[in-house]
Parts: sequence; C-alpha cells; structure tokens
Amino acid sequence: MKILVIEDEPGLRENITTYLNTDGNICESCADLETALVRLTDHQYDCVLLDIGLPDGDGFTVLDHLKVDRKMEAVLIISARNSLDDRLKGLNIGADDYLTKPFHLAELKARLMAVFRRKTLNTNSKLVFNEIVIDVLARSVEVNAESVILTKKEYDMLLYFLANKGRVISKNAIAEHLWRDEMDMQDNFDFIYTHIKNLRRKLMDAGAPDYLRSVYGIGYKFVAP
Amino acid sequence: MKLSAHYTKASLLISVAVLFAGAVIYFFAINYIATNQLDRNLSQALSEAEEYVRTTPAEPQQYDLDQDHAVFLKTDRQAFKRRYFDTVYHNFRENRTEAGRAVEDLIKAGNRRYKVIITVSRESTRSLVEIISLITVVLIAGLLLVLFITNKYILNGLWRPFYSTLREIKTFDVAGKAQFSAKSSKVEEFTELNSAIYEMSARVKAEYSDLKAFTETASHELMTPLAVAITKLDTLIQDETLRPDQLTQITDIYASINKSTRLNQALLLLIKLDNELIRDDESINLKAAVLEKIMQFHELAQSKHLVIVSRLADKEIVASKYLIDILLNNLFSNAIRHNLQFGNIDIDLNANQLVFKNTGSPVNLIAEQIFKRFQKGKDSQGLGLGLTLVKNICRQYRFDINYRFADDNHIVSITFPKIS
Repeated sequence: MKILVIEDEPGLRENITTYLNTDGNICESCADLETALVRLTDHQYDCVLLDIGLPDGDGFTVLDHLKVDRKMEAVLIISARNSLDDRLKGLNIGADDYLTKPFHLAELKARLMAVFRRKTLNTNSKLVFNEIVIDVLARSVEVNAESVILTKKEYDMLLYFLANKGRVISKNAIAEHLWRDEMDMQDNFDFIYTHIKNLRRKLMDAGAPDYLRSVYGIGYKFVAP
Repeated sequence: MKLSAHYTKASLLISVAVLFAGAVIYFFAINYIATNQLDRNLSQALSEAEEYVRTTPAEPQQYDLDQDHAVFLKTDRQAFKRRYFDTVYHNFRENRTEAGRAVEDLIKAGNRRYKVIITVSRESTRSLVEIISLITVVLIAGLLLVLFITNKYILNGLWRPFYSTLREIKTFDVAGKAQFSAKSSKVEEFTELNSAIYEMSARVKAEYSDLKAFTETASHELMTPLAVAITKLDTLIQDETLRPDQLTQITDIYASINKSTRLNQALLLLIKLDNELIRDDESINLKAAVLEKIMQFHELAQSKHLVIVSRLADKEIVASKYLIDILLNNLFSNAIRHNLQFGNIDIDLNANQLVFKNTGSPVNLIAEQIFKRFQKGKDSQGLGLGLTLVKNICRQYRFDINYRFADDNHIVSITFPKIS
C-alpha cells in the first residue's frame, strides 16, 4: 500500500511515517499544500492522510483536486477541529473518514486500513492472516475454514490487532478504540482483559496459535511469528 | 416605591404644608386688613357723631343707623383714650346678635362730655373672609389635584424611556446576538444613560466573544501538541527494552493526556453550545436512543451488578443526534459511576419527562450547584463538566432539568417543553 501523509507538524509527521512504513507499505510525507498537490499529480497513491489545517491553505483544496482529477485515493482527514461542519464538509467532498486529533497511531493505522479496504471492496473483501480469514462485508471470521462466532467488541478488536500486528498497543488505545470517549478509561481496563481473554480462547479453540501476547504494564501485542 | 411616587408624595406634602401656612397667613392678613378698614369706618362715624353732638344742643340720642349703632353716655372724665375693640352687635332689624367692632371715645361739646360707643357689624367682613377662604381652599384642592395628575401621568411618561432601558438591561444576554438599542430620548440624562450602557454592552460583548474565540483557538491549538505527545508515546512503547514499571508510568501519562483531551473537547462543546452553533436538528426517537444506550452501558453496569429497570414510552423529539448522544452518555455514566454495588437504575420516559433515578450515597452538593462547571463530588473521577454539558444541551432545547436526592436515590429529571 502506498500512502501519502500531508501534515505540517514535524513531530507528528515523522512518527506517523515511521509507524506506517512497515508490512511492505510505502509511506511518503509532505508538509504543505503546494508539495502535496505536486506529489498527487505525479504519483499514484492508495491512501492519503490529510491534515485540514495546513500553513499555506485549506486541506480541503486537496480533496477538490482529487475529485477534479477523478483519482481513486482513499482519503483520511486528520484535524484538530471536531466541528460537525468540518466533518460533514470533508465527507461530502470526497474524504472517506475523519480522525480528530489527538489520536493513537494504532487507531490511525486501523482507520487507514479500513478506508483502504472499503475503497477496494470489490477485489478484496476478505482479509487473510495465516489461518484467519475475515469477511469484512459479512463481518464473519473463519479459522482453518471453520466459522468462529465473535462478539462485536471481539471482532472490532481482532481487526484492530490485525491492522497493528507486531506492534505494542496500549490499553488506553484499545479502550479508546472500543468505547470512544463514552466512559472513563480506567473503568475499561478490566473489560479489555476480559474481551482479550475471550478472543484468545475462541481463536485458540479453533486451532490458531496464541497470537496475543500481554505486555506487562502497558498493553498487548499481536505477534506474527 | 417608585421614584415618581416618592416625588409625588414629597411634592404633595410640601405643597400642602406651604399652602396651609399660606392660608393661615392669608386669613390673618385679610382679617387684619378688614379690621383696619372697619376701624377707619368707625373713626369716620366717630367724627360724624362728634359733628352731630356739636350741632345738636339737646341731649344726643342713641341712634341706630344703617350700619352703625351709637350710644352716648354722659361722663365727667376729662380725658379718654380712644379704644377700638371687638364686641357683640345686636342687629335689630334681623333681630340677632352678630360679631361686631366698636370704638369708644370722649366727645366734647362745649362743657358737655359724652362717652360714645359706636358699634358696627362685622358680618360683611366675615362673609368676605369666608368667601376668600372658600376660594383659597378650592384653589388648594385644585392645585393638589393638578399636581397629583401631573406627577402621575407626565412624570410616568417622562420615565418611560428609563423603563424601556431597564427592560433591555434585564433581557441583556452577553452571548446573544441582540445589540442594546441605545434609543435617544428627549431627556438628556436618559440619552446619556443609554449611550453609556450601549458602549458598555458593546465592550462586554466584544470582550466576551474575544474570550470565546480565544478559548476555542487555544483548545484547538492544544490538540496538536497532545497528538504529538500520544504518537511519541505510541512509538516509545515499541521499545522492547523498556521495563514494566516504566511502561506503567507511560500508561499514566496516556491517562493524563486522555483527560486533557476530553476536558478540551468538553470545553469546546460548551463554547459551541453557548453560541448555539450545533444546528443539525432531526427527529429522534428517544425511546430507541435510550434502549441503545442501555445496551451500550450494559457491560459497565454489570461490573457493578446494577439492575437497570426502564419504563419507556415512545417519544419523538427534534434535536441534534450528536448532542442527545452526549446527553444520554453523561446521564448513564453518572448513574453508573455514582451508584452502589448491586444498586438500581430506574429510567422513566413518558411524553412529558425523562427521569433517571439511581441508588447512591448522598453527595454534599447543593442541587443548584451540581450543574456548575467543575463541581463534583470528592470521590468523582469525572471531569466535572458532564452535568454542565447536560444542562446546556437541555437549555438549547428548552428542556427543564432538575436534580434532587431523595430516599437514597439521585434523581435527575428532564421535562420536555409543552407542545403549544
């Protein structure tokens, strides 16, 4: 997957680029609107990560540009503003999802994978990882061709882990992903443990190896052997 | 008491006092003038009597003329001081006794000496005084009436601009769009007052909107550094050499950042609510929304072994889905967080009200203060903004919200506006 990150804050840009530059993904980045438009004209990307507030203009210009050129990039907007107007405006003119700052890198990766999957649904509605096969349209999971029934939270968690395999994911990031900001995080850490325990048991019962490793003090890691 | 009433009272009291004093002085003055006049008439009559005595060789007879009544008494006294005095006058024609004025003096005619007393009736003077007094009283009454009416109507009219200014000040809303009208008035003071208030309100509004814009910008600006902090931590925890105790510290940092973020988001939302910027109203079935939330909070409620009992009737409201979501989230998480182990949550929804009732220990918070920003119980882990958000959302949709603690239950009730 080829990704372009358009973000003016250097700290954020570097971390995002480094985090995304794995699993055979190629991640490029730029810091302003002008460079972004040049890059988008010259190259073909699968996904564009777009910060709305850029020093030399409004990020929505990028969306207009992509629309005019009938480009097929999946666009994920990141913005400090969670204003409803911005959200609607972005999604109406061609963005695929919207992520409000601040966010966890794991969340960003999961969302990016999700928008990319949605864009390529026709050719690619199945997510395969070793013996695990996920049908994202039917929201069903098979391990070794055998159906595994997961709850909604377990399913969300599995997708989240697969998008971030090989990475340590903090409990805080998992809690925010599963519950958004509905509740206090501290309340949720116990639930995460329960859900992970159930998910691990269901996968192992179906014959998958133990992918989920607990990282003491911080969270979990989906280990790809 | 209104200013005009104060003024009317004072002016009436002063007028009555002055007029009364005036009337007394007037009365005595007229009396004095009338008596003087009578006395002059009496001296005239006295000279006539002297003339009569001198020209009449015989004993002077008592006579009773038209108005004066003279009595002559022979006397031996050589000198006699002329004296005027009040007396009684007997009117023979009318055959009644009237107040009179008399003069006595000594008349010498050759070697005859008479003491003469001439009496005149004061009746005419008295009626004159009466008529004048009556006119005065009528005038006083008329004057007072006119004063009263003027004060009541004209003064009230004069004060009208003041009351319209007062009304505007009472309805002044620092966050509202309506400007103070600063009407000019015929009365210079009011014009001045209005322009002073206009300037003040404009200044206040400008400062307020500056402050809001500043808060909004500051909150947004804060999001990027928070994002940098989180992504740096996300990168940091990939380091396999970190010890568990270091990772635990990082978890705490995450929690702090999360709290700052949510605080910031809540403040931003409050600003938006204050400005009524969220205007994506749609028809919402509140029953369905509550049922969905019960499902969503099921897990959390179960961890405290809470029993949720709901009696829900269909209720359609027109509101922003986003705001109603926040409203219900806060109500649910409060009902769970401030609950006891094995407690209850009762949710009642009917056409008029949505009531959340949950068991819990009493909080030492006053019902009026519970909706204020950053008011929270000692043990609360929350932000202290949840109920403020709830209240402001209710205010946007004209819902009436109330909190009370009764029978070991926290009760939050939201009353929907009557459909007119």
